[in-house]
Amino acid sequence: MNIHPTAIIHPRAQLAGSVTVGPYTVIGEHVELGEGTEVISHTVIEGHTRIGKNNRIFPYVSIGFAPQDLKYQGEDTRVEIGDGNTLREFVSIHRANTLGKGVTRIGNYNLLMAYVHIAHNCTLGDHIIMANGASLAGHIEIQDHATVGAFCGIHQFCRVGAYGFLGAFSGVNQDILPYSKTTAPRPLGVYGTNKIGLERRGLPAEDIKELEAAFRLLLRSKLNTTQALEAIEARGFQSPHVKVLVEFIKTSERGVAK
Amino acid sequence: MEAHPTAIVHPRAQVAINVTVGAYSRIDEHVEIGEGTVVMPHAVVEGHTRIGKNNQIFPFASVGGIPHDMKFRGELAYTEIGDDNVIREFVTIHRGTALGKSVTRIGNHNMLMAYVHIAHDCNLGNHIIMANAATLAGHVEIQDYAFVGPLCAIHQFCRMGAYSFLGGYTVATRDVLPYSKTSAPRPLGVYGANRSDLERQGLSKEDIKDLDAALRLLTRSKLNTTQALEAIEAREFKSPHVRKLVEFISTSQRGVAR
Repeated sequence: MNIHPTAIIHPRAQLAGSVTVGPYTVIGEHVELGEGTEVISHTVIEGHTRIGKNNRIFPYVSIGFAPQDLKYQGEDTRVEIGDGNTLREFVSIHRANTLGKGVTRIGNYNLLMAYVHIAHNCTLGDHIIMANGASLAGHIEIQDHATVGAFCGIHQFCRVGAYGFLGAFSGVNQDILPYSKTTAPRPLGVYGTNKIGLERRGLPAEDIKELEAAFRLLLRSKLNTTQALEAIEARGFQSPHVKVLVEFIKTSERGVAK
Repeated sequence: MEAHPTAIVHPRAQVAINVTVGAYSRIDEHVEIGEGTVVMPHAVVEGHTRIGKNNQIFPFASVGGIPHDMKFRGELAYTEIGDDNVIREFVTIHRGTALGKSVTRIGNHNMLMAYVHIAHDCNLGNHIIMANAATLAGHVEIQDYAFVGPLCAIHQFCRMGAYSFLGGYTVATRDVLPYSKTSAPRPLGVYGANRSDLERQGLSKEDIKDLDAALRLLTRSKLNTTQALEAIEAREFKSPHVRKLVEFISTSQRGVAR
């Protein structure tokens, strides 16, 4: 056991021999940590929480606290986490309320990226990836090998099927089909030059005028991007900022949002 | 006051007698905390901040910090929080600015779920619920009994009326009518099989072909779900994964996103 002197661990917590607990971690009385699990630092774990082997828990994680459920009355409910999971910074995992099986459960070999939230009574299988900020309400089931994109939000009692891929920023209140690519569309519009920003940052009026003209060619004419770039060349703009704009478009790997 | 030995409580902070202050939390000099309030490990309360009675402040909450407003010049500004509020993990509540009202104010009996952000000069009434990661810009007013859904963002100077409900993922750039259900639409589309992951996970070409065809029947034909399931039966796909897909749909409680 490798326990930093500033870690505060309840004497009755059960930590396996090869557990590492870093500085400023706080671990409560009814917590179990399995072999090889590493809690890097500044994490707080409480409640009746059992965590398995070889997990890696990054700084500022919160595990086992009361659900955000106004029905919760302080009952001794549980969190169970399996083996080989990675929990990144600012992840929060709340214990259950007494509905259902009274446990919030996470399986094995899952990656929960920064800011992910797992609410009361959720059940996660194995080999799941949840990207930054993905958030689950209560009683959600995520099946094996699913991917939940960044900043997705899933309504209580929904399921994400095995091998399903949920694109970023999807607000979900039904089940997500296993094996599918499901996503919210993510429309993006360009509304001309960032005029206010450019003025505040001291660009001269002439530069802004030329940029506005260049943007009009890019966005408001019937020209495609290549034609628009030619038209911009042809206009012979003086501003070096127009050159920066053109250079940016020419070197784009993924294409530019228009 | 019952402070953990590792809590850093400024000697001039005014903390009522039966307040609990958890490990590694920090209470700065100009903070007042009322009776029965619980400050959990690693929470930070700073600035000229007054917190009332029977509040629960969860780990990693940050109360009274300086605003994001680049016009803030270190001027004297306040944070005021009433009684019986629940402030969950990673909530950030910033103090006011001189160009605003110099105070950020939160009333009583409010529930601020994890990752909620209350910016400078906001004014919250009573009995409000803000779900995960709901985010307010500066000078936002939320009236009594409002519900702000998860991952909402409210533009500066907007107001949410009393008893209103703002659905998850809504970006509100105008006032929200009291007593209303207001929400951004949340379209979701299924774009066929999750090909990349299925290949990576070692599903065979035939599996993927079958799943693609089954998903097309479900999401791209004119059939409703029941008819699509019948059509899938009729096609007698070999892949066991298609059976799993059908099973998932047959057991759906909330319906599937199509």
